[in-house]
Amino acid sequence: MELFFLIIKDGIFAAVAAIGFSSISNPSPRVFPLCALIAAAGHMTRYVLMNIYGFQLATGSMLGALVIGFLALPAAKMIKTPAECISFPALLPMVPGMYAYRTIQSLLHCLGSYSEPTFMHYLYLLRFNWMTCLVTIIAMVVGVMLPILLFQNYSFKVTK
Amino acid sequence: METQEVTLHNELKRKSIFLRDFTTELYASGATTIRIEKNLGRIAESWHTKADFSVLPTCIVLNLWDEREERSYSVTGKIPADRINFNTVSDLSGLSWKIVEEGLDVTQATGIFRNILKKKRLNPWLVLVLVGLANASFCELFGGDLVSMLIVFIATIDGFFLKQKLPAKGIDYRVVIVLASCLSAVIACSGFVFGWGRTPEVALATSVLYFVPGIPFCNAVCDLLYGHYICCISRFLHAVMITVCLSLGLCIAFGLLNIQFL
Repeated sequence: MELFFLIIKDGIFAAVAAIGFSSISNPSPRVFPLCALIAAAGHMTRYVLMNIYGFQLATGSMLGALVIGFLALPAAKMIKTPAECISFPALLPMVPGMYAYRTIQSLLHCLGSYSEPTFMHYLYLLRFNWMTCLVTIIAMVVGVMLPILLFQNYSFKVTK
Repeated sequence: METQEVTLHNELKRKSIFLRDFTTELYASGATTIRIEKNLGRIAESWHTKADFSVLPTCIVLNLWDEREERSYSVTGKIPADRINFNTVSDLSGLSWKIVEEGLDVTQATGIFRNILKKKRLNPWLVLVLVGLANASFCELFGGDLVSMLIVFIATIDGFFLKQKLPAKGIDYRVVIVLASCLSAVIACSGFVFGWGRTPEVALATSVLYFVPGIPFCNAVCDLLYGHYICCISRFLHAVMITVCLSLGLCIAFGLLNIQFL
């Protein structure tokens, strides 16, 4: 039961994050509720995959993004807006921000190291965080773009 | 005969200019290059012309041929400063279908195009609050506690306010990002400095994440998948520039408050 509440909580916070981050790119007001629901679905998928099934961050993010991509297509048709205008903002709560932050942190440590072992340790952390961050972002975008690529005819006619 | 030639030339010119403005506006608003290509091709075909275009980092080059490929007109257009606007992308995509389905001519299309550009953006105060809440939620998703969320909310509101106001004073966008992210990070450091909350590091890490250029990164990968490599590199480098600036702001804040990570 506790896990169920944790999943719902994850979805709610992802939805709030998606609404806020999408407002920066000035979408049509009709986009907000759908974007929030889709972001919540994607984030909850990733949460379940990572915390219950033990998936890695990049794989979990890619599958979460795939859910976002597939849900964005009918939603885009419903409100006659390009699918990317819904799916890209819905993807933003999944951005691996802590890894990006730790990359900068490791870089600063690297630059401030006076001994080779310390430098090498932080260089390892720098590479690990940088690679995780980059691979996760690419996996997310590929995941969200796959449905658009698979249903090209449909996705480019949603604004008709 | 000569008059007819001039009329045809002028017609091609007007269509080229419309398509140029249409393309640059879509690009600056954050449309993917494949969508621009589809929209442009659709309009050109409905006007019995053929359009080819290349997107360079700061401008576009567009060539428009008449149906029999006897006359062509080339125009270049400067891409406006990055101002992502998905409402414009949506409306312009809709306009491209409207031109096809209702057979609109250049004058009618230009009228609708101008009306779309006149549309106001969302209320900046509303956006400010929404972004604050979004970043606070982000903090929770990364494991931040309630105090950290509150710190992040305040830090984001302050930094984003600076980001909204400074460009109007003519300050370069990179300087704006450095200053705004530095301000957010300095405020978020309060968790470390005063010992507030159990997760000050999460608060500090998430305080500048509203600057992460998610849309340019997504567009860059999308362009990569469709083989628009120059657009991909251009958008990717723009996103990297923003990331470097926000990192710089963060580092300055660390330096100012002498934050040590142990």
